[in-house]
Amino acid sequence: MTATTPDLAAGPGASEALPVLQLRGIWKTYSTGTVHVHALRGVDLDVHAGEYVAIMGPSGSGKSTLMNVIGCLDVPTAGQYVLDGEDVAHLSDNALADIRNQRIGFVFQQFNLLPTQSAWRNVELPLWYARVKASERKQRALDALARVGLAERAHHKPGELSGGQQQRVAIARALVTDPALILADEPTGNLDSISTADVLGLLDELHAAGRTIVLITHEAEVAARAQRVVHVFDGGIAGIDEKAATP
Amino acid sequence: MMTWWETLRLALDAIVAHRVRSILTTLGITIGIAAVTLSVGMAQGATASISSEIGSLGSNLLTVQAGYFSHDGGQPMDPSTMPTLSMEDAEALSDPTIAPDIAAAAPAIQSGFELAARDTSIGTQAEATTPAWLAVQSRTLAVGEFFTPEQYDDGAAVVVLGSNSASQLFGDPGAAVGQTVTANSTSLLVIGVLEQSGGMMSTDDLAVIPLTTYRDRLSWGEEPIGAIYLQATSADRLTQAHQEAAALLAGRRGAATSEEAGIMIVSQQSLVQAMEQVTNVLTLLLGGIAAISLVVGGIGVMNIMLVSVQERVREIGLRKALGARRRTILAQFLTEAAMLALVGGALGLALSAGVAWLVTTLAEFPVPVSLPTVLLALGVSAAIGLVAGSYPASRASRLAPIDALRRE
Repeated sequence: MTATTPDLAAGPGASEALPVLQLRGIWKTYSTGTVHVHALRGVDLDVHAGEYVAIMGPSGSGKSTLMNVIGCLDVPTAGQYVLDGEDVAHLSDNALADIRNQRIGFVFQQFNLLPTQSAWRNVELPLWYARVKASERKQRALDALARVGLAERAHHKPGELSGGQQQRVAIARALVTDPALILADEPTGNLDSISTADVLGLLDELHAAGRTIVLITHEAEVAARAQRVVHVFDGGIAGIDEKAATP
Repeated sequence: MMTWWETLRLALDAIVAHRVRSILTTLGITIGIAAVTLSVGMAQGATASISSEIGSLGSNLLTVQAGYFSHDGGQPMDPSTMPTLSMEDAEALSDPTIAPDIAAAAPAIQSGFELAARDTSIGTQAEATTPAWLAVQSRTLAVGEFFTPEQYDDGAAVVVLGSNSASQLFGDPGAAVGQTVTANSTSLLVIGVLEQSGGMMSTDDLAVIPLTTYRDRLSWGEEPIGAIYLQATSADRLTQAHQEAAALLAGRRGAATSEEAGIMIVSQQSLVQAMEQVTNVLTLLLGGIAAISLVVGGIGVMNIMLVSVQERVREIGLRKALGARRRTILAQFLTEAAMLALVGGALGLALSAGVAWLVTTLAEFPVPVSLPTVLLALGVSAAIGLVAGSYPASRASRLAPIDALRRE
């Protein structure tokens, strides 16, 4: 699989800054007894700071596995993965938990908000695990909610919010730790067209503000919002569409 | 890592979020803790009343009996060689030069009486004895008099009734004195009624008559003395009194020991000790059964925590994705289980305090719920929660975040 962009061939320390995400020869093999399934077959991928990248592919293509590896939710069977300057391919459970907490902001298809907790309580959740003081937690949660335009809904529970608003809360939760990467897994999969436009608009805004975003989707219209679309097929990268020049 | 306070708040949130289920879960622990504290409380109450019995029985009382026990496996004894007690034994025992630690001795013949008043008759226990009986037994009179040495010497037809017997025959114990009762067609004048002895080993169904009267008018043939009651000079001379009596009675029979002579000397304290042993066994038995219900309650907590983990797989996955470490998840679920059990334990204590109060007021049987019991109960319920929660919690903490998030 060859998907290396030319400027990365120069390696770290070249004219370009180190990529936020650098995957080299990533393999992921699931073994059940004697059956070995290769979900990823040597993926190389780089994402630079401030980039907005969409990963597209049909189901079974390996895009979910790729997302799990990128999100440090799963470790690759082989290969090298450098996230924000740290080799994370072979870290312990606890170290991976800390990486997820500090460097990655997740946005899920199912929102995954705690239904019994108010919006700001949901947003502050990653800060609990980051050992942030209570007063600072609340302030940062409220700031993040203001950032996604939900300041006045801070005390509402998820059930009292629309689908689009719930996903905005989830995005606020992803932003609150100021992560190096925002990883959105089918963020509009559960939303109607209006809310979809709303959430994608918000992601555009975040991108414009300099956030690095990786979005996993199977919808071409959603992927079209990104600068670069990485097509995944059969465990490898089948092609890359450049919408604009990479920075 | 979250602070302990935040962990507690989180556990409380989860418990309140599933109110009904939490209440049903804690019910097992509630009943278990209530059962344990109540059975322990009842046993302690019983022990306390037995201990107070020691005082009321007269701790310096010894009872001498002869006969009916053998050490060779229950071979029937030949009646002609059966050991007996005599008036002479009693006289010797009351001699301060021979037995200085025995203050008084009262020989007695016990038998069953049919006592008849004007229109009622009752069966009662009779003691035919000497005037010393009253002091030796540490009894007092509610009304009237005990028979005097003169009445004893004369074989006067008089009787002193226990309070129950008096009220059964005459309605009111006070009305009994001066009345006549009939026993085996012999008329006896009621000259006194004993004060209630109270307690569990009460002897208020009783008729006390002079031994002389009994022998002259009521017995057929020469009945031997059934028992000799001995009063030690004080409670702490009881052991010496016991030894003196044993040596004296053995010596009078030419035997080496009182056992060999067929004499048994029992102190009331030894009876009390035997009863305390019985209550201890009861405590263990009741407590054991109650403890089983606690274990069942603990299994209930474990069951519910497993369900809770199963239900919250996505939540656990999310928390792990957001950076919760394995230990944090473990602590969260352990705290939740411990809190469930602790709440159950506290409710159980409240329940048992209520029941204890009811029993104490209605049945007048003291059921103390002491501070150590309370602390122990709370400690035990928290421990049950931790033990019952550890398996579900460790399962939760070992969930892989992706699997957990994928689960619908």
